[in-house]
Amino acid sequence: MNIDYSQELPVVEGGLKQAQIEELVAKPLDTKPDKKFLIAISISGSLLLIGAICLGLTFYYGIGLWGNNQPVGWGFDIVNFVFWVGIGHAGTLISAILFLLRQRWRTGIARFAEAMTIFAVMCAGLFPAIHTGRPWLDGYLMPYPNQHQLWINFTSPLIWDVFAVSTYFIVSFVFWFVGLIPDFATLRDRTTSKIKKTIYSIFSLGWRHSHRNWQHYEKAYMLLAGFATPLVLSVHTIVSFDFAVSIIPGWHTTIFPPYFVAGAIFSGFAMVVTVLIFVRKIFNLEHIITINHLEKMNKVILATGMMVGYAYAMEFFIAWYSGNQFESFVFINRAFGPYAWAYWIMVSCNVIFPQLFWIKKIRRSISIMLAIAIFVNVGMWFERFVITVTSLHRDFLPSSWGYYVPTLYDIGILLGSFGLFFTLVILFTKTLPVVSISEVKAVSEGAQPSHNGGHH
Amino acid sequence: MLKKDEKLSKQENPEMMDKNYWRSFEDLYNNPKTIEASHHEFKEGVTEEFNPSNLSNISRRKFLALVGASAALAGAGCADYPDKGEIIPYNKKPEEVTIGKANHYASTSTACSHTCGVLIKTREGRPIKVDGNPDHPVSKGKVCLKCQAEILNLYDPERLTDPLQKVGVGSFEKISWKKVDEAILASLTFAGDKEIAIVAQNINSPSTLKVLDDFAIKFPTTKIYSYELFNDEVKNTAWKKCYGTGSFPLIKWNEAKIIVALESDFLGSEGNRVENSALFVEGRDVDKIKNFNRLYVIEGNLSLTGINSDYRIPLRPHAQLELVFSLISEVSKKIGKGSSLSNSLSLADFSNKYNVPLKKLNSLVSDLVKNAGKSIVHSGTTLTEEVHIAVNYLNNMLGNNSLFRTDTAEVSLFPFTQKSDWDNLISKMNAGEVDTIIHFNSNPVFHLADDYDYEQALSKVSTVISLSEKENESSHLANYVLPINHDFESWGDYKTRTGFYSLQQPVIAPLYNSRQKESILLSWIDGRSDSYSEKLYHEYLMKRWKDEVYPKLDATLPFDRFWFALLHDGVINVKDAPISIGSFNSSALAVLNSYKADSSKYSIVLKNNYSIGDGRFADNGWLQELPHPVSKITWDNYAAVSFKTAKELTLKNNDLVEIKVGSRKLKIPVFLQPGSADNTFTIELGYGRRKTGIVGTDVGFDASSLLSRTNSSSPFLLNGDVSKVGGTHELATAQEHHMFDNELTKDAAIKRKVVREGTVAQYLKNPKFLHDGSEVELHTVYPFIEYPGVKWGMSIDLNKCLGCGDCVVACTAENNVPIVGKDQVAKGREMQWIRIDRYYSGSVDDPNTSLQPMLCQHCDHAPCENVCPVVATSHSPDGLNQMAYNRCVGTRYCSNNCPYKVRRFNYFNYRDFFKDSYQQNESFNLIYNPEVTVRSRGVMEKCTFCIQRIMDAREEAVRQNKNLKGSDVRTACQDACPTNAIQFGDINDKESEFHKYRNHDLGYYVLEELNIKPNVTYIAKLRNTHSEEA
Repeated sequence: MNIDYSQELPVVEGGLKQAQIEELVAKPLDTKPDKKFLIAISISGSLLLIGAICLGLTFYYGIGLWGNNQPVGWGFDIVNFVFWVGIGHAGTLISAILFLLRQRWRTGIARFAEAMTIFAVMCAGLFPAIHTGRPWLDGYLMPYPNQHQLWINFTSPLIWDVFAVSTYFIVSFVFWFVGLIPDFATLRDRTTSKIKKTIYSIFSLGWRHSHRNWQHYEKAYMLLAGFATPLVLSVHTIVSFDFAVSIIPGWHTTIFPPYFVAGAIFSGFAMVVTVLIFVRKIFNLEHIITINHLEKMNKVILATGMMVGYAYAMEFFIAWYSGNQFESFVFINRAFGPYAWAYWIMVSCNVIFPQLFWIKKIRRSISIMLAIAIFVNVGMWFERFVITVTSLHRDFLPSSWGYYVPTLYDIGILLGSFGLFFTLVILFTKTLPVVSISEVKAVSEGAQPSHNGGHH
Repeated sequence: MLKKDEKLSKQENPEMMDKNYWRSFEDLYNNPKTIEASHHEFKEGVTEEFNPSNLSNISRRKFLALVGASAALAGAGCADYPDKGEIIPYNKKPEEVTIGKANHYASTSTACSHTCGVLIKTREGRPIKVDGNPDHPVSKGKVCLKCQAEILNLYDPERLTDPLQKVGVGSFEKISWKKVDEAILASLTFAGDKEIAIVAQNINSPSTLKVLDDFAIKFPTTKIYSYELFNDEVKNTAWKKCYGTGSFPLIKWNEAKIIVALESDFLGSEGNRVENSALFVEGRDVDKIKNFNRLYVIEGNLSLTGINSDYRIPLRPHAQLELVFSLISEVSKKIGKGSSLSNSLSLADFSNKYNVPLKKLNSLVSDLVKNAGKSIVHSGTTLTEEVHIAVNYLNNMLGNNSLFRTDTAEVSLFPFTQKSDWDNLISKMNAGEVDTIIHFNSNPVFHLADDYDYEQALSKVSTVISLSEKENESSHLANYVLPINHDFESWGDYKTRTGFYSLQQPVIAPLYNSRQKESILLSWIDGRSDSYSEKLYHEYLMKRWKDEVYPKLDATLPFDRFWFALLHDGVINVKDAPISIGSFNSSALAVLNSYKADSSKYSIVLKNNYSIGDGRFADNGWLQELPHPVSKITWDNYAAVSFKTAKELTLKNNDLVEIKVGSRKLKIPVFLQPGSADNTFTIELGYGRRKTGIVGTDVGFDASSLLSRTNSSSPFLLNGDVSKVGGTHELATAQEHHMFDNELTKDAAIKRKVVREGTVAQYLKNPKFLHDGSEVELHTVYPFIEYPGVKWGMSIDLNKCLGCGDCVVACTAENNVPIVGKDQVAKGREMQWIRIDRYYSGSVDDPNTSLQPMLCQHCDHAPCENVCPVVATSHSPDGLNQMAYNRCVGTRYCSNNCPYKVRRFNYFNYRDFFKDSYQQNESFNLIYNPEVTVRSRGVMEKCTFCIQRIMDAREEAVRQNKNLKGSDVRTACQDACPTNAIQFGDINDKESEFHKYRNHDLGYYVLEELNIKPNVTYIAKLRNTHSEEA
């Protein structure tokens, strides 16, 4: 292939004019919901309802309705938590880290990925709150002064979790909102509806598109990006501490922090790809979220997938190399024990299938990348399942070994979390610009003055 | 007023004012306003005509009323406290009751026919815990799990509360005692020459027997029938044939060097387990290593005795006789005595025929010969008379009769009814010649063999009366069901052994409108329907003792004081006729000569269950939930079968089989039991109750349907056919079963050094063998924490732990542990704070079994503590790992991080969850130990080392101004352990007896290499195998 490397590929395709971009992105907000939208929201709403019912019953009767048992104290509850936190990693990575790295292609997908981050972290935050035996006492996990002089235990990773996840959520939300301000202003200026105008006016915080506005905005955005970047790494590091700090073989592993972060980015990107494939199609954003975007993301998936694969291999190596029989048992038991099926689902979905992305054709094929991305999502859910359940089900004393089987309530709540996520995503597409109008305009052709006159 | 006048006069006459003193410029310059103001001491409006209603709309009264009302409202608003019950102090305090302090009363429990002496702990008048009476010569302060669990029966919410009268098939209505007495008296009086049958279980109370005799005098057509599903009749008959008189004697297990148990579960379901275990472990004391006994067990299914053996041979029970023959011929050859037995099967032939390792048999024979006079061969009660006779002969030949106890023997006050008498009764019932049948706290419909057709015959009897604590299969068919008092509401005296009497006194007034069963008969004997009084039997009992027993005792005390002393002690030693063991009568051997080898395909063995007995305890949730000591199965019985036979029949665990014995059939799930003999199906009885409370009904399978009245040689040893039928029935185990053929999981407990064992020979050679060469230096990043003062620890001697589970039930009772039910056990959510881990090693056909009681190890560096986000679990200054239930949110992280997995989580509010809030019935409020919090849903819990007992001892020490000592505290499990395997005490007390256990050469910690510093020491088990195999 003959590629001209002296020229950057255009980020926005189809020679879209600035006004066209604005028109395209704002279109879903200006039109009434169509049939497709109603079908989609009814499906996701049904899932949400299933989850709500299962959760309600759980609150009423107790978490005994789930499959958790004596050796396996954590089941779907914590698996789902780690899974959703992982999903929530792509957004901030794309918007913050890629922003700092001056990756111009991020503009098309950043907004959407950030929104997904926020929704995923909301789903994730749900699980630690509901997984406790007495959720009405969750407030005990917060440090607050009280006459009993009771304090939280700062050595417990669960407390670190509380802070890590809530900080991550707040920072991601602020970052996302700040990015939205210029778009709110654009929408405010466009709309004719009085109600909309009022709402957009409030959220645009008096934005006037002035140079001073832009100057402050760019600075704030840069600072927030710098602030969010370490969080991307810290959240999942701390989530991994939930396991790594314990003494259970299979959990007590120093490789966990980088392994979890790589896994989180891996699964987050896969989820973003999965959703974007539909969004760009439905909202005719193929020129803004181009195949090049997807290809780049697939490359990230390939890279992080191999990191995860390396971690899997290294866990086995260390289990053998340490000479610790409990450790080696756990890993042999993972691969060949009662939960071998879960382990091999994980390995094939996370390590084997993404290897197809070495082939450019596959990287650019919508249908195959969708399949692989879904596989990666499944595989990454199973990774958390394998880590959580298989380590617990056969730990030190053979007498207390057991087997964990999820119940319908477990599955219902998992579906419910997907329902919540997609309901929020679908509502988002209809209420807010799914692509950052101002940022995409800035990277579209002819937007930036350049001495060579740009590309024609 | 005077002052005011002065002031006024001064102001009116300014000259009079002392100008040197002024308060303000206005004052100084005589501002008229000031002068005017100074005339009014009070503010405008505040005058002599002071009226508060002018000041504010709220009057003082109204204000007070509002304050009062809002305080009351606030109080009412905050008063949503679950316990709305009133706390009423004693109006007139009983002299012996101090609120908050427990009282202990000696009594007797009739949980099984051995009638152990118990000490019942009561708090504010309600019994909450049962322990052994230390003065009792047999139980010696220990009782088995049935006695422990009897307390649950007392508070069983489904006990009969009132007399019932039948109004239709299976339907009853309440009736007053007066009416029911009148009706029954009329029926009894008009019985004419028709028989009145009283059907009782084992009668072991002399006074009860006297009541029955008095009844028979009053109503002369009365006949008394007595049965016990499991009894020693076959064995005793064999004994009589061999020795002429007496019954099979008790055995000095403590003096035996070699014990050979043939299908005998003397440490489990046969005889007085508590006594046998205590005597047996005298030969398992590592500090008297020379005294170690050696236990050979040859049996069809792995039993509690089998798992404690040094050598075990799986053998189908039908081959036991041939084994004894071959042993006799081999032993007689070795000791040079001729055998008077015509059958002379050689050991080698036997070994070939039944595929038994000859080496084990040879070492058995040489041990027997070497220890002649100090060995005992013991045959189990399920075996046939022939085996018992042959075993008696073998023991006699070896001179082992010196191991038979002559200090005490079992007493039978009333013989069990023979088969012919039952036949007679049934035919008379069918012929309408029986007017009344009284089920005297018995359940013959369930217990008698089906082919007696007792149930059918019962319908021909005009009046059927059941005296029972709760509904059962027999009461269901009765015309009148009369509620009787529980053991702990009853008076009584018991005589099961020579040498002493055991007394029973009530520790609580009857909870319901029930009467003591003897009193009911006494009031009928009196003949007046209003003759009953609560004291009826009490006075009768006292009178009998005063007239019949007291005069013979040469007591120095007057009777009144003697009687109170008697009740206080609970037992009294008496002189009974000495026991003599006659000489062996060789003519008894004649029956053996006609022996024919058994050739049937499958042996079906029926056994007594360890916990629920003959079904009497089927409704006791604690016992149903107690894992079977060998299989760890709860809430079910099953047919245990060997792996090989299962493979032949293509059976897997939980598969249903149909067992056919003659025309009788039973469908039951199978369980693949390692160590089971091939072609042998072993089933425990007592399950499959059709009519009992909500807990026990339809739990398990009623294998007594296989019993037959015609099977007299041994009712429990049958030949039958087994076939696989479709379907499964899930058995809930408390411990997952691991495949032997999987290299990954095989012998895991040994490989992980969870279980560490050795042999006696190894220990003799090097007492420190356990730790030699395996010391590792363990590093830690945590600071060393000192525990000045008392620091609690435990040691468990695995040589003495037999795995019976008494500690588990004691802990359940002490610590208010809920029943969770079968489905939750199947899910792995059992709540017991202590469990007995059982590990197999070696081959599946002949496994070694290791036992290990597992409870919270109270680690110094407890991994559960640092992961709890809310500090709900923390360490006490005396080394305890504590739980603050109120603080626990229920993240379960502590449980995940516990390497021993001893933490228990309340996934539900189990008191509400189990059987439709069964445990929330009102009567359950009484059973709880008031010193232990009842845990709610969503809370983690675990063993506390009985912190309430520690606090109790500490208070006592403070009261007496002493230092708390380790020996002041005994945990519930320690109290219950019949073999004293569990020791508890102060680790820092170097002088104590406990210190010796803590620092034993054989002591080790489980998972020591994790360096979490557990505080439970295990003394490694020594197997007394031959040294060449070491």
